[in-house]
Amino acid sequence: MLINILLLILSIGIYVSFGISNLIYILFSTVTTYAAARIISNKRSIEGCTNCNINYADKENKNAEIIEEVKGENYKNNQNKKNGKWILIITIAVNACILIAIKILLYGQAKLNWLSGIQIIAPLGISYYTLQVISYIVDVYKGKIEAEKNFFKYFLYVVYFPYLFIGPITRYENMKEELFKKEKIKLENIYNGVIRILWGLTKKFVIAGRVGILIGTISSDVSIYKGAYALLAMLLYSVQLYADFSGGIDIVIGGSKMLGINLKENFDSPYLSQSIKEFWRRWHIALSSWLRDYIYIPLGGNRCSKIRNKINVIITFVISGFWHGMNYLLWGLLHGLLVVYGKILKTKWKPINIIITFLLISILWSFFIWTDTLTSLQMIGSIFTNFNYVEMLSNFLNLGLNIANIVVLIISVIVLIIFDIKKEKIITKIKNYKIEGKLAIIGTLAIIVLVFGIYGIGFNVSEFIYSKF
Amino acid sequence: MKYIKPTIVIIIFILIFIFLNKLLSPKYMTDLVEGNMTYEYYGEEKNHEVIFIGDCEVYANFSPMVLYEQEGIISYVRGNSQQLIWQSYYMLKETLKYETPKVVVFNVNSMRYSEPVSEAYNRLAIDKMKWSKEKVDIIKASMTEEESFLSYLIPLLRYHSRFDKLTSEDFKYLLKTKNNTYNGFLINKNVKPLENLPTKRRLANYNFSENCYEYLNKITELCKQNNIKLVLIKAPSVYPYWYDEYEEQIQKYAKENNLDYYNFKEKVQEIGIDYSADTYDGGLHLNLEGATKLSKYFSKILKEKYRLTDYREDEEISKIYNEKLERYKEAIK
Repeated sequence: MLINILLLILSIGIYVSFGISNLIYILFSTVTTYAAARIISNKRSIEGCTNCNINYADKENKNAEIIEEVKGENYKNNQNKKNGKWILIITIAVNACILIAIKILLYGQAKLNWLSGIQIIAPLGISYYTLQVISYIVDVYKGKIEAEKNFFKYFLYVVYFPYLFIGPITRYENMKEELFKKEKIKLENIYNGVIRILWGLTKKFVIAGRVGILIGTISSDVSIYKGAYALLAMLLYSVQLYADFSGGIDIVIGGSKMLGINLKENFDSPYLSQSIKEFWRRWHIALSSWLRDYIYIPLGGNRCSKIRNKINVIITFVISGFWHGMNYLLWGLLHGLLVVYGKILKTKWKPINIIITFLLISILWSFFIWTDTLTSLQMIGSIFTNFNYVEMLSNFLNLGLNIANIVVLIISVIVLIIFDIKKEKIITKIKNYKIEGKLAIIGTLAIIVLVFGIYGIGFNVSEFIYSKF
Repeated sequence: MKYIKPTIVIIIFILIFIFLNKLLSPKYMTDLVEGNMTYEYYGEEKNHEVIFIGDCEVYANFSPMVLYEQEGIISYVRGNSQQLIWQSYYMLKETLKYETPKVVVFNVNSMRYSEPVSEAYNRLAIDKMKWSKEKVDIIKASMTEEESFLSYLIPLLRYHSRFDKLTSEDFKYLLKTKNNTYNGFLINKNVKPLENLPTKRRLANYNFSENCYEYLNKITELCKQNNIKLVLIKAPSVYPYWYDEYEEQIQKYAKENNLDYYNFKEKVQEIGIDYSADTYDGGLHLNLEGATKLSKYFSKILKEKYRLTDYREDEEISKIYNEKLERYKEAIK
């Protein structure tokens, strides 16, 4: 209880420290969804006593449609549902509209010079908590979870600071158990949490930081750095984004673990995927599963014609692109198309499939490297038209990293690949280590981060690539 | 028993951590030797009658060995590259913990800088200072916006990227460094004549900042409290330009506070400085020749005006200083 109060105070404090307006935005989302859920729940419970048997405890029942059928048996309940539906729609619309408006305004300001003189800053964590509050209200409406009575418990779920910048997007049904369970602080959890945090820091500072220097040079001048350089940037960005984003998530998961709060994994060795479809099951799992449950399935999912299913997939990916920002609509569309028609690229050789998938993903990351859609497309095109591969190789040491730093980068990427391949084994082994073994890992990782990390003057430690979404 | 192994592991990593902090910190032995100046003071006998404080205009221009040879004055220069006035104040405060000189000579050039200027200069002056309240205060007063206190506390945070720049010097001077100065005076024998006189650029404001006055007051007060004679000087550097407005303010301050003030720029002829031969960087600093002339000139003033002891007649001290002088003469050959 005490730890929850401290977490809430700390989380609110962090939001306020970035500007009081951040707290106002998140409070608005929290209050609207909390109140809406309570109204829906109250209406349900009145009707439910006499007419409807919605079993909240039946959490295994994932099929909301079955619940709908149960509810549909009764006119009164239908009337009730109708009322609830409008509350649901309005609550989602209001919260989603804020997020949509901010995404459009940010794009308008950056690309079309809207509202010059006024700087639009996205409220902290809005992309993440908006999806969380929507998932909550939808789950309450569908009877998957009961509306939370204690406002502060719900507020802690929304405002919980570790996932402030980069998620993961969590569901209340999972977080409620984790946040409010007893006996959270254990020495074992602290060791494991610290190891996880340091592993995340290693990925972020040793790998992503180094790759960032190379990409920074390449993306600084498209007139010089195209063709082979562009391809190199795309491949490197795959490494950078993964190391930075998954490293950030490791820190969030590790920090929560120390408090005894288990968060779901957000990555499952994504670059070992054999298709784009598989990639999206293993990359940013929290977002992918949110899109699946709250966009793709409500659109009809695969319970419809093949054509409609393909359209549903593409719409879902375009929305995913929009969530990342207006710049990424085409990126989302292309991913959608590759998920739908990706089968044609699949061979019977696993390594070839992995390489093809990695190449495709890397090429599509162009939209994140150059952000301007036209430039990104030009850079993709230049791979096939500018054959400056020899020049790029001879100029490699002039891109910002000397040979010692390149050696550090190569070794650390190899370690990351080995870890991703043997993840389960390594984690089990570390978990079984005695205290001295764990301390040795903590010491080694801490020294690696401190010595080989790219940080310090001129390097902003709080900046995670994925936080801007 | 179950805590023995974890304790050993923790100790091993603490030792590795300390070792890496030492190894990766610059040693300032062959390159940027100015970075070791603050540290050199700690190894000295603390019995100086004169302490110089200030920026490069003191450590390049005043040679304590000349002061000793000429008048038997034992002195030390606690100066650093672009040492700002608050740094001079805390350096003096630290010095007074070790010794109480009769005279403190403060070069007023740093009055022109009201804010922290450069991280690199901060590092040169502060990094090797011993930990004390003065060090905490000097860091807080000196940090530029991009700096963090923690990186002074843990040098590894600042110097970790030197892992690929380590040389044999880093291992050789890991535990013990050598002195590159002679009581804080850095010898430079090069000659680069003054070619152009500086043009007097108009400034928006010629007034020294409140911050600088505050620290100058603190220096004055500190000397008063300790019964030390504070002497203000302006070294005869041609660059950067010393405005008349600056001069007036210092003269006024010295008068109001009953302090002696010597502007050596106005005594260039008398001292015999020849800017075509006595400067190593075209007028910013004096070279060995120039510094020797200036030190000889100033040693007379110090001796006559402030009744300093002639330590050439002190058996014990003269033994140490004669040895120093020998090494110094060897170095200036």
